[in-house]
Amino acid sequence: MKKALYTLSSLYAFFLISCGGVPEKSTNTSVEKLVFSVAEVLEMVSKENDVTRTLYTKAIVGAGKKQGMKFDEDWQKEEVEAGPLPALFLRGIANDIQKSEVPLGLYLGSDFPINKANKFEGKQAELFHQIKKDRAPQHFFDEEQKMHTAMFADVAGAAACVSCHNKHEQTTKDDWKLGDVMGATTWQYPTDSLSYKNTIAILKAYRNGTEAVYQDYLHEIAAFKTSSKPEIGDKWPSDGGLYLPSPAVFLDSVRELAAYETMTTLLK
Amino acid sequence: MGVLTGIVVGSILFVFFSRTSNETYISIGPMNSGHEDFSCNTCHSDAEGNLWQQIQSNSQFAIGLRENAVDFGTIDVETKKCLACHERDNDRHPTHRFLEPKFKKAVKQINTANCNTCHSEHHGKRMTLQKTDYCMHCHEDLTVKNDPLDVPHSKLIANEAWGTCLQCHDFHGNHEYQVPHKMKDTISNIRLKQYFEGGIDVYSSNKKFVALSEKEWIAKYISNH
Repeated sequence: MKKALYTLSSLYAFFLISCGGVPEKSTNTSVEKLVFSVAEVLEMVSKENDVTRTLYTKAIVGAGKKQGMKFDEDWQKEEVEAGPLPALFLRGIANDIQKSEVPLGLYLGSDFPINKANKFEGKQAELFHQIKKDRAPQHFFDEEQKMHTAMFADVAGAAACVSCHNKHEQTTKDDWKLGDVMGATTWQYPTDSLSYKNTIAILKAYRNGTEAVYQDYLHEIAAFKTSSKPEIGDKWPSDGGLYLPSPAVFLDSVRELAAYETMTTLLK
Repeated sequence: MGVLTGIVVGSILFVFFSRTSNETYISIGPMNSGHEDFSCNTCHSDAEGNLWQQIQSNSQFAIGLRENAVDFGTIDVETKKCLACHERDNDRHPTHRFLEPKFKKAVKQINTANCNTCHSEHHGKRMTLQKTDYCMHCHEDLTVKNDPLDVPHSKLIANEAWGTCLQCHDFHGNHEYQVPHKMKDTISNIRLKQYFEGGIDVYSSNKKFVALSEKEWIAKYISNH
């Protein structure tokens, strides 16, 4: 009896562990060649981000304000008829990237943020200190999160950055100057190398995010009850009036301005 | 005879509990507010492989014969699943923001990167976290210039009155309402508690974004695939 029980248990254990089961998921199922380091890709998308934000800040917020357009941190509230401030434009892009399948994280912080909860802490604070000195990108691997992380200087590239932050009611620093490192963007990605396909997917996720937030802004405008609605088309506020470029026109300009840097990386 | 009885009873139980109308008997608790009409499949999808394969895989994992364990029965319901219906652009505290390294310390105190931390399912409530003092983990340095509140924020923070934050501020920022300027006009903790337990909305009935219904989510899923 004991022998039979022993044989049965052995057979059961043998069948349980010997073969079959759910196929193991490989950490890298891609057979594509890995051609870019994560640092290269994050630097490329960060440059796209610089172009996008500078264009939005200068040509939409800065020029738009001169035409009477409003921009507000509560731009999505029903009673507020305004567009997103540049930092919130970036956050909108980051939100949209999160909706995609691309595991890219994008964040914005500073040592003097408007909202103190956005102040850098720990490793980020330490690296931001260095960024302020030499403006060079900082890369590190976050052991806890297992994420490749990069930080890039966020420079005051438009007069609107400086004036809005200096005048903001809750500002923690009111002597910003054009060209100052006002903060840094932090980017995260889980793998150290990327294929062309994954690199293009990151770029697309970022550009789709830009389009989505810009569209959100135009939807808000469509719902304005008391404010004048800008004419959406080929013209920009700098043409002298309540004009805003359509998403296609805005994105074309981003592509044109970012093309050299982006293509240089992609065709290395 | 005993084997036959086992097979018959087992089959009856299997058929009974497999029916959608009897899902309530295998649920671990009542669905949270707004989720009352959901079926199990709304959130729970079958894990890869059959039960035997899952037992095999996890046994192999237990004795080091494979790198990863597998889900057993159904796939764990994670934040991404919740966001498929609840994702909105105006969220003041979107879960992904807390993945940034600077929030590590705060996230160790309260994992706000995970919906389940505050909205644990199958409790028949809206908010399941017992304490509402979590703002302190990120906003302890808050200063408000030209403070509009009759009891200054600085005083509330100095008194560690963190339970008062939600009396004015809706954590996710989806409600359209005017924030009171006098403490006496704020939402009482009793009313807040009732709201968290699943009662009427104390902030406002006017929300900018409404979460997708199961039907809308299915339509979105189909159009995206």
